[in-house]
Order: sequence, then structure tokens, then C-alpha cells
Amino acid sequence: MTATSTAAARTRHAEPRNGLGGLALGAAAAVLILLWAGSNGYKQTLVMSAVTYAMIALGMYVPYLMAGSLSMAYSAYAGIGGYAVGLISTKTGLPMIVAWIIGPIVAAVLAVILGLVTSRLSGFFLAAVTLLFGMAFNAFLIDAEGISGGSAGLGNLRSLSLLGWTPTPYQVMVGSVIVVCLTAFLLDRMRLSPWGVIVRTMRDAPRAVEAVGVRVPVLNLVALAIGAAIAAIGGALFTYSAGSITPDTFTLNVVFLAIFMPLIGGSGTPWGAAAGAVIAVELTLNFPALQASGTLLLALGVLVILLVAPHGVIGYADKLRTRIWASLRKEPHRG
Amino acid sequence: MTDLQLWLSAVEMGCFFGMLALAYHLVYVGAGFFNFAIGPYAMIGGLCTSWLVITYDLGVWTAASISIVLALVLSVVTELGVVRPVQKRSGGGELPALVAVAAVLFAIQQAAGYVFGYPTLPGQVLVTFGPVEVAGVTIQPNTILMIALGIVTFVVTALWIRFTRTGRLLRAVGDSNHAAALLGLPVNRVRLIAFIVAGFIAALAGILFAPKAGVHSLSGLGWSLSGFLAMVVGGTGSVWAPLLGGMLLGLVEVFLPYYFGGQAHVYGMLVIALVFFAFKPQGLFVRTVRA
Amino acid sequence: MAEEILLVGRGLTKRYGGVTALSNVDFELRAGEVLGLVGPNGAGKTTLVDLISGAQPATAGELTLRGTPLTGPASRRARAGLARTFQYPQLALELSVRDNLLLGRVARRHATPWQMLVRAFAGALWPHAPADDAVIQEIADELGLTGLERLAGDLTLGEQRLVEVGRALAQDPLVLLLDEPFAGSDARGVEGIAEVIRTVRRRGHGVILVDHNVDLVASLVDRIMLLDRGQVAFNGGPRECLASPEMQRVYFGSDAEDDIPQAEVQDVRS
Repeated sequence: MTATSTAAARTRHAEPRNGLGGLALGAAAAVLILLWAGSNGYKQTLVMSAVTYAMIALGMYVPYLMAGSLSMAYSAYAGIGGYAVGLISTKTGLPMIVAWIIGPIVAAVLAVILGLVTSRLSGFFLAAVTLLFGMAFNAFLIDAEGISGGSAGLGNLRSLSLLGWTPTPYQVMVGSVIVVCLTAFLLDRMRLSPWGVIVRTMRDAPRAVEAVGVRVPVLNLVALAIGAAIAAIGGALFTYSAGSITPDTFTLNVVFLAIFMPLIGGSGTPWGAAAGAVIAVELTLNFPALQASGTLLLALGVLVILLVAPHGVIGYADKLRTRIWASLRKEPHRG
Repeated sequence: MTDLQLWLSAVEMGCFFGMLALAYHLVYVGAGFFNFAIGPYAMIGGLCTSWLVITYDLGVWTAASISIVLALVLSVVTELGVVRPVQKRSGGGELPALVAVAAVLFAIQQAAGYVFGYPTLPGQVLVTFGPVEVAGVTIQPNTILMIALGIVTFVVTALWIRFTRTGRLLRAVGDSNHAAALLGLPVNRVRLIAFIVAGFIAALAGILFAPKAGVHSLSGLGWSLSGFLAMVVGGTGSVWAPLLGGMLLGLVEVFLPYYFGGQAHVYGMLVIALVFFAFKPQGLFVRTVRA
Repeated sequence: MAEEILLVGRGLTKRYGGVTALSNVDFELRAGEVLGLVGPNGAGKTTLVDLISGAQPATAGELTLRGTPLTGPASRRARAGLARTFQYPQLALELSVRDNLLLGRVARRHATPWQMLVRAFAGALWPHAPADDAVIQEIADELGLTGLERLAGDLTLGEQRLVEVGRALAQDPLVLLLDEPFAGSDARGVEGIAEVIRTVRRRGHGVILVDHNVDLVASLVDRIMLLDRGQVAFNGGPRECLASPEMQRVYFGSDAEDDIPQAEVQDVRS
């Protein structure tokens, strides 16, 4: 039981369980972002884009990063959230808040159905089928003109009105950022909780999870449902702030970016997904000079990170921090 | 559109999907891996050719050759620069390789958009001759080229696998990676060759198919999915299996929208994927069952 | 003094692809009893454990636990009171030792989909359960496991096996199935596991112990079952088994030289 000479890397430790560290940093970053955006309409759009991407990436966090199954159907779930807002707004007289409840539920149900149908699939096959599902959903939106408004989509959405109070665009932005932070925080705590331990074990040692008494396929479906619901909330937020939705709003591109965001930011914590979203939006939408090639930079960056720093920006920073900490404390070699 | 025209269209698409599936098949046999970047290689073939012809007024064959070389380079980079290091580092786990290849797919599409532009470009026909009249139906030259060269590709590949040393090495490595390595067979070299040949076939397919409906930087994703589906449907049993899978998809692609309208082919692909992946992942042609 | 019969297997058979791994195996496990399962490589020991735990479906035969039929997926049988370790430890390598032990303790609270959902959200609000920590610590002490914050992937194979035993113990099972728990362990590890076996026995539960080291097994069990090519060759006391002609035939006929038992058996059961 001797540690080798790479002591700093060997004596890895598990982290404390309250998720407050992440929340502190995340909240600080959020405040900075909100201050930066202020009442500038363009910057507010950027923040809302980052919020949406972050929510989709966070939605993928539970099933993909925790349970280890990659589903590419997230554009559909975000779309469901968005169209829930659109439909409730234009076709019914129900209060808008209902959309934020119905959307995630419908998305969760759909995720469970898709999960049941693909329960024996994994890896490339699962990714391909879910990708095809995303495309089929898009095709359905275009075809079902009566419901979805076809290619033109739905527009002129009503404003949310909670007990007579209608939030301003700035308040919507602030509220959305709070939702992202809250989601990341709660997911972080979920990850550290006993439930999280079971789901994370399911990824590497599913036989162990069955052997202790948890039915793996069922837990997998629960994870998928939670993820879909979160993505739907993101879609709803974006559609509400944009005021309209078309089949093109949430494309498959979004799914790819959502996979890459935890890669960029770091897959160790859900905050990595949020950080990755901010970086991705900054690169792809906020570099007017490199407008088109921002996405290219992002793609190349992902490849670089995959090869060089597989735990993303946060992971790399974290590794640096651990190494510095260890050398400061002059950790002895364990004998 | 007459029935014959529809059938021809289906066969044309069948050959295209078949070639893509063949590219998948070769990489799967040689490297045990699904190279989702095959679609973008085909896209590069078609898009780069068109762009060179349109922007720089190059001859079609020159432009096509350059494009194929570019696709080959990308294919080699995918294997040597991305897949092999990631697989080595993650101990052969499926997810990291999948994400890596998705990143490559994405990167190639974005790079193509940046360099060649985003609008759809019309495809370039390799050999121009007048449209042919058969049984009252007008057949365009690109259709003939696609079908003819598609079949030729399969014949050549089948002969290559059967009768050349490298081809048989490919089969040996495909049958069992471990045994091959133990026997001292050049596993890495065979992998690389598989990637190169696959890249060539994909690029050629892209060039031949582009004239049908044009090509743009994002075409690769749909093509990747179709090729993958065609490969799975056909199975790994024989070199000709991808063509069978491609034909089936071609029928779906052409006839479903004809009878049901709209985006029916997308639904059809999804149903086929669900059916085949869940119930018959070995496809229609079974030789070895890979665990 | 008839002890309660915990686990009964009748006619257990496993066939796949033309191979008969197990053929008509019968056994009984009483409360407070330790049953050893020995045999050369390929005899079907792990297959039998898989059939009992539900990791593989049986081709034929039935199992009952305390009189009720034992059926369904592994998770259902685990909740009914089985716990097992694996020949190659199945641990979450990226999680700490503590978390891996915790898995055994918290699993049964996540039985139904509803429970899974509720606990997901409860976990978000209250991720830490101090009551479980005490139990985990007790188990770790019993096994001689230290450094609970270490990541499971950094442990030696012997330590990983110890953790798996600890996880099984945390399930508080009626029947503990140990599949080759001693391989790669040092003396301290072996003693730790032996202590666990004694404790489980004292509590009135049962243990099925599979291992290659026949001496070690013989010193820990009440009865031994010898498997040979999928069939029961001997079923009786450890001393009798070691001296039996079946043992001579099965082991001397195989290439597994290190399985050849010695003449003397040290009885270290307490």
C-alpha cells in the first residue's frame, strides 16, 4: 500500500458534501455576468442564450455524466419546453406559469418512452437513434402545422403575469440566471448525495448497483426523465424571453454544443456545464470579428481539450489547485 | 414522376448510402469502431470540389482529386490524432471515443463552413454527357455515374479484400483484434489503411452524389446517420451487405415521402433504426457476432 | 435443534450455447451456517453464485429463500436479503471507499421509481445522512479498512475486495455470497473477511463462500460442496470432504496444482 513517487496525483481525496464551494463561485460569476449585461438588449440576448445552453447541458448532466448514457434527443426536450410556452400562450387562456409545469412533464414522459424503447441500446447505437429521434421531432414540428405552426412556428407570445406583476426583460434575465444557478447547485448536491452515489456507480459498475438492490433500467429512466425536464425548462425560458419559437430554434447543433460544454468547462461538477455554456456563447456569438469562425474555434478547442485536458477548464484548474495545495502542505509519501 | 424514375432515384440513393455504409464497414472491420465522421468526409469531397470549380474555375477532375486528398488527410488525422490517443487513454471505453468522433464531425463541418462558405453549392458532374433516354424516362448523367461507380467501388473492394494481402490482413484483424496482435500482424497499420480507404470511398461518394441536390457544410451529419443506419441494416456478414442496407434506405428515402408526403422518410429512418438496433443489431447479413 | 432453513436450491441447471455449466445442483443453507463451495476452474462455482443472486437466469431449477420463491432480477433478490461480491470487484472507481460502502446501505431505500424520484430531490436538499456514517465506520473497523476518503480506483486488489465485502455487509443481508474474496488479500485482509463471516453467522444469517484455497475454506465453513464440471461431487463436512476419494479424483485429475489440499486441516473456527 505504498504510494508511488507521483504522490500529489495519487493521494486523491473525495470532496466535502455540501456543494457550497461551487455555489459561491458560481453565484459570484453570475453576479459579474449580470452586471456586465445590465440593460443592454444585445448582451441580455447573449445571457439568455448562455442560460439556455447551460440548462440543456445541465439537463444532459444527470443521464450522461452521471449515468453514462449519451442521448442526443435534447433538442427535442428543449423544443417541447419552448413549444409548451408557445402553445399555452397562443392557443389557450391558461396562465403562462402552467407552461413551465406542463413542458417539463411532457418532456420527462417522452424521455421515459424513448428510454424504454432504447433500453437495450448503448454507445453509438443509442446516440444514433436519439439523434434520429431529434430529427424526427423536428420533422414533426414542420409537418404538424395545425399544432406547431409549421415552419413559421409560433410568435407574439403573451407575457408572464404572476398575480398581476409582469417582469421586465432585465428581470427575466436575472430570474433565468438564478434558475441556472439553483439548478447547478441542486444538481451538485444531488451528485454528492446517496442517490448520486448510486447513479454514478451505475455508470462504471451497473452489476454492483443491481447486486445491492436497485433496478438499473428503472433508475436509468428516472435519470433520463430528470434530465429532459431540466432541458425543457431551459427551452421554456429561452422561448419566453425571445417571444417566439420555430422548428429552427433548437437545432441539433445545440445538442452537440451541449455535449461539448461540460467537456470545456469540466465534467467533475455541474458548474462545469454552466461554465462551458458561458465560454461557448462568448466564443460563438460575441466575437463579431470571428462571428462565423467562433464555432470553429470552439470545435477545435473541444478537440484540444479532449486530448490534452480531459477534465475541462475547471478540472485543469482544479488539478493545479490540488497540486499547489499539496506542495504547500508538503504531503508525506504514504507508507 | 414515373415509377421508373422513382426506382432509379431509389437505386441512386441506395448506391450513395451503400458507399457510405461500406466506408463505415471497413473502419468497423479494421478498427472495431464506428467512424461517425464519414459523413463529413463525403461532404468535403462534394463541397470542396464544387467550391474549387466555382471559385477558382478548376477542371472537375483536378478539383475532385484535391478534394479527395483533403478528405484522406482528414481521415488520417481522425485516426492518428484523435481516435487512437483517446482510445488508448480511456482504455477502449465507448463513450470517450464517441464524444471524440462527434467533436471531429462538428469541427469538420464548422471548418468547411468557414472555408467554403455556408450556402448550398451545386454538385459537379465528373463526366458530362447528354441525358440518356430509356423507356420514356430521362436519366441524368450523374445518376448513371453514381450507380455505375457505386457498383464498381463494391466490386473493387470485394476483390481487394479477397485477393490482396492487405485486404486479407484487414479481414484477419477484423475477425479478432487480439489474436491478430498476438500473431504479430500490423494492427495499427491495418487500422490506418482502413481509415484511408474509407475516407477515399466516402469522398468519392460525396462527389458523385452532390449533383443530385447540392451540398453544403452541414450535409455531413445527415449523411453520417444514413450511412451508419445502412451499415447496421446490412450487417457485417459480407462486403456487399452495406449495399443491401443502402438500397433499403434508398427505398425508404424515395418512396415514403412519395406515398405519405412531408418528412415521412425521417420517420421511416427512425423506425428502421429502432427495429434493427433493438431486434437485429447484426443486420441482415450475419457472419460474426461481435460482443 | 433444527435450525431454520434459509436458502434452498433444487435442480439448478445452466446451459448456454451447447455448454452445460451446471447440472441438477441441489443445496441447502441453514441459518447460522457457512457453506463452502470449491472445485477446479470451470466447475461452475461462480455460475452457481450467479444463478442464486440472479445475475444470470437459470435454465432450470428453483430457489427459495425462507420458504418464498426467489425469482426475478438481481435487484429484487438483493432486496429480499441476498448480498454478494464478485470475482472481479465491481466498484465505482471514481468514488471514495466510503461512498462504495454507502452504496450497500442506502440502496434499499431506492426500490421503486417513486422512491428514486423522491430521493433524487431529497438528495438535492439533504445530501448528507450522518446516521449512515456510523454504520459505515463500524463496518470499516470490522474489516480493518482505513483511509475511507481514498478513491476506490487507487486501492490494491485485496483492499478492493475488502470494500466489496463491506458493501455487501452494509446491506445487512440474510445470505452473504462471497465469490473468491481472498484472492490477492494479505493476512490482515483474510482475517478481516473471516471475522465478517463469523459475525454474520453469529447473527443467525448464512454465508456461501467460494474460493480456490480449499484449506482456507475448510477452516471457515460448516459444510463443503465440491463441484466438478457442473455437478455436485461431494456435500458434507470439511474434514470428510478433504479426505474423500472424490476430492482426490477431482483435484488430482486437474492442472490446478495449487488447489491440491494438504492432509492437515487447522480448525480456526471459533
